[in-house]
Amino acid sequence: MSHELLMLIAILCPTLGSVLLPVAGKVSPRLRNTLSLLMVLTALGCSVALLPSVLSGDLPAAHWEVKNLPLGLALSLKADSLAVFMAIVSSLISAVIVAYSTSYISHYGHQNEYYAMVTMFLGAMMGLVYSSSLILLYLFWEITAITSWRLIGFFREPFQVRRADKAFLVTVFGALCMLLGFIAVWTAAGSCDMDVIHAKLGIGGLPFYAVGLILMGILAKSSTLPFHTWLPDAGVAPSPVTAMLHAAVLVKIGVYVFARLFLVMLPLSLQWQTIVLVLAAASALVSATAALIETDLKRIIAYSTVSQIAFIFLGFASGSTYGAVGGLLYILMHGLAKGGLFLGAGVVEQRTHTKDIRQMGGLIKTMPITAVSFAFCAFSVMGIPPFGGFFSKFMVLSGGINGGHTWLTLVFIAGAVLTILYLTRLFVVVFLGDKTAQANEGSPVMVACVAVLAGLSLLGGLWINGASRWAWSAASGFLVPGLSQ
Amino acid sequence: MNEMMLLLPILIPVAGALLVLLAGRSSHSARFGLTVLAAAATLAVAVLLFPQANNATGITFSHAWASPMFSFELRLYSLSAWILVAAAAFALLVTLYSWHYMAGRPHGMLFCLYLLLTLAMVCGAMLANHLVVLLFFWEGLLLTMLGMIAIGRPGAWKTAFKAFVIVGISDLCMTGGIVITGLLAHTLRISDIDHLATTGLGGLGMALLIIGATAKAGSMPFHSWIPDAATDAPLPFMALLPASIEKLVGIYFLARISLDMYQMSRESWLSMMMMVVGAVTIILAVAMALVQKNYKRLLSYHAISQVGYMILGVGTGLPAGIVGGLFHMVNNALYKSCLFMTGGAVEKQTGTSDLNELGGLGSKMPLTFLCFIVAAASISGFPLTNGFYSKELLYAGALDRGLIFYLAAVVGTFLTSASFLKLGHAAFLGKRNSRHDAVREVPFSMLLPMVLIAAVCLLFGPGNALAVDHLIRPSLSAAAAGEHHLGGLLPHNWLLAELAAGAVLLAILNHLAGWRRYGSGLHAVDHIHHAPVLSFMYDSAAKGWFDPYIIGRHIVRVVAWIGWGMDRVVDWFSDGFWVRTAQFGGWALATAHRGRYALYVLWCLAGAAAVIGFLIRAM
Repeated sequence: MSHELLMLIAILCPTLGSVLLPVAGKVSPRLRNTLSLLMVLTALGCSVALLPSVLSGDLPAAHWEVKNLPLGLALSLKADSLAVFMAIVSSLISAVIVAYSTSYISHYGHQNEYYAMVTMFLGAMMGLVYSSSLILLYLFWEITAITSWRLIGFFREPFQVRRADKAFLVTVFGALCMLLGFIAVWTAAGSCDMDVIHAKLGIGGLPFYAVGLILMGILAKSSTLPFHTWLPDAGVAPSPVTAMLHAAVLVKIGVYVFARLFLVMLPLSLQWQTIVLVLAAASALVSATAALIETDLKRIIAYSTVSQIAFIFLGFASGSTYGAVGGLLYILMHGLAKGGLFLGAGVVEQRTHTKDIRQMGGLIKTMPITAVSFAFCAFSVMGIPPFGGFFSKFMVLSGGINGGHTWLTLVFIAGAVLTILYLTRLFVVVFLGDKTAQANEGSPVMVACVAVLAGLSLLGGLWINGASRWAWSAASGFLVPGLSQ
Repeated sequence: MNEMMLLLPILIPVAGALLVLLAGRSSHSARFGLTVLAAAATLAVAVLLFPQANNATGITFSHAWASPMFSFELRLYSLSAWILVAAAAFALLVTLYSWHYMAGRPHGMLFCLYLLLTLAMVCGAMLANHLVVLLFFWEGLLLTMLGMIAIGRPGAWKTAFKAFVIVGISDLCMTGGIVITGLLAHTLRISDIDHLATTGLGGLGMALLIIGATAKAGSMPFHSWIPDAATDAPLPFMALLPASIEKLVGIYFLARISLDMYQMSRESWLSMMMMVVGAVTIILAVAMALVQKNYKRLLSYHAISQVGYMILGVGTGLPAGIVGGLFHMVNNALYKSCLFMTGGAVEKQTGTSDLNELGGLGSKMPLTFLCFIVAAASISGFPLTNGFYSKELLYAGALDRGLIFYLAAVVGTFLTSASFLKLGHAAFLGKRNSRHDAVREVPFSMLLPMVLIAAVCLLFGPGNALAVDHLIRPSLSAAAAGEHHLGGLLPHNWLLAELAAGAVLLAILNHLAGWRRYGSGLHAVDHIHHAPVLSFMYDSAAKGWFDPYIIGRHIVRVVAWIGWGMDRVVDWFSDGFWVRTAQFGGWALATAHRGRYALYVLWCLAGAAAVIGFLIRAM
């Protein structure tokens, strides 16, 4: 099968196939669930099939475009090492999440819509990842916004719908700013194709305001200060959805596009690097401190996501190769661990019927597997070896110092200290503690999904050789001149 | 010999741990038998490897791990070789001791598992020749420590949390130091990092590494979990980690940082910082030990205080101080683990470690008492004991750098002696509690480790040259080891030796006077406890006012509320400000279009005025 076809299947199968899911649901819920999982697995399988040629340095593995469009309006897709890396990471974690959903969501209403939206969400992510044109990028970007809006408001209570509206409005506001930025890029370069833009505009070839506008979109999507508060509020969504938003897909869209645009297409000027790093550092600190105060299980983990996303920005905006590779590795390791934390939180929430951690305690006795898996994921997010999160955190911090941002990196170390504090507090209060909340272990499928992500977090560290090689090869596509070692 | 052998001290305990895990709910004896076997095999390998390390470069093992940045590199050379043997030996003895101690206690399987993993992590940390590999094992120790404390008495999770947070934060500082060191040295291979300058960024890097090393050794201000762990964690944990192995690992790495990796001159602020931290740790921790009324808690403060001597010694940057610091590290590991074992023996046989309930056990547990006497005399620096000789070296180094440091060390000796006289008197002499009349000596498997360690304490007294001139000095560079022999039966500086003996004598006189006054060994130092000013300080300390962890928690709480407040302000913008602004805009526009004729005329006139104004300006 040709590489172009694989890439198109990876995008179209979940995007278009999701429309069939409500019909399948009418026939049999089991058929619908299986089809949904199969579609996500197809996206994963197609992306994995692209991996060998990407790793062999045959860049890009696939390229597809609609030719001869007027005014430089390009519709092109490209599977390079970075895109394939991101596609595999997000579809892998999404597959685990969909498997988990089959048990978690089974006793709620609107399941047809749920599976359609989740699958379309992942499909849009695939499209976004493989987009090589700003138009397609924006198109898929907005599809993710619409689907996540429906998913956050899944439970339909007025306050939940309001939270969904908030998430939608904030991210779409950012996206519209970004669109203005894209128009500025298009005006300056005469094309929407990223390769053409890269060739025509060098470092600093873009107006200052255009970078700012695009960054607003990225920061809003990746939930970074000052656009971050929609993410904790989105915790009203079902746990698999929050896992998908936080760990695998939505917030990673921002950092991925940051890498795509500002590491590959138009490397950032030092001035913008510093602005992004200062914002990220402030975001890391503010959200980590908020996580220490919050008492809602999912809000704490959500603030943790905001804080960890800042570390990815540190890696990407540091201007050093280690930082960039570390940032990619961080996307992988954080995705696995944070996915595990949210799914674990889902098990706890479902069994204890509360999200208030003050009502919990001593759950390690009744939910040992969930507790240990949760601890593994927490260790990985904290950055404790031998878990995968250690290596990514080490590399982004190295990147920060190598890039000459010593003082800002020290602020991030303070953020990492706070990470240890709030995650330890969370684990201790929920799973240790004196109170013994009455709750049994979750269903086998759900617990297995949490355990798989915890195991992968550990494996990612033990097999860091493979993981880091992969990240290096993914980064090799954008190691442009100007980045220091 | 094949360099693959270097993997064995790590792999054997890991394999043992896996077997313990697989054996699951097997019998206590099978589980501990397996653990003892694994620890013994590790010791055997360490001993076999020892002669290999005596050439200049040692032996190395290298495996591309996560190229191009990290490689899994191990190296055994003279300094790490003997510390490796010591660590494995302590682990074996503690395992033997625990066999009987842990019988009938819960979580035996987890205890063995964590113990063996701890041993593997320690061996890995000793052998690591790459800073990231070192960090890997270093933080592995953090996890096993967390587990070991948590399986203590019910409610121990609070202490586990405290320990995890304190050590985790210091480890993170070390990570920062490693990043900076790697940047400056352009390599993370430890043997290639050669005396980096300590100015500017280098100073920051070294300071962060020192924080990691000294915190692992249990120095102030990262100490406050140790006394809590003494009462909450299983006792063998205390004998293994805070008493011996953590000191070995922490001080070993401190020596590597300040002797090999960085160029620490005696004039640098880092040397001064280390000496100040060392001196403060000695005095404050021993002062706290003096007033404790619990056997294990009293010992735990000494575990903190003694590390102050080592940091002070290494911080002097003088051969006498460095060699003395390392010798003291070995001595402390010996007598401190022996003392904790005597504490465990007493607790095992009487069911309590509260000194108010103990007394007169010397006749019931004579061998335990004998071991206690040897270890307590050693830690007090009684003449002819190993502690006397290591402290003598430290005094010489400290005096050379400043009278104040010397005085801190001597006052520390006085208070140490006073508190052990009190402890020994309260536990083993005096009137026996009638409930303890049937108490018997502990079984052989618990006695053997204590007796062996006490014997080595005695050996390293008169035979100190064996450790000082044959183990420690040959493993250091010529500049650190000095040109002259530092060991020997007779003191090198008689005045210092006499003053040290005088401090011990003064402590004995103080104890006798206190005993006479209060009629009880336990209260023999109450006149110090209740002295003006000191009593206020002690009361404040008892309330936790000086606990850096509690102070830090208050600070973090304030910072967290401020950060949370900022977050709420930002949230108010998206949830409140923009919504209200939009509502206001809508209301304002709606008000302007209420269908009133006069209003529309007004709008038209305003519009016409604007157009006319624009036209006039354009003309």
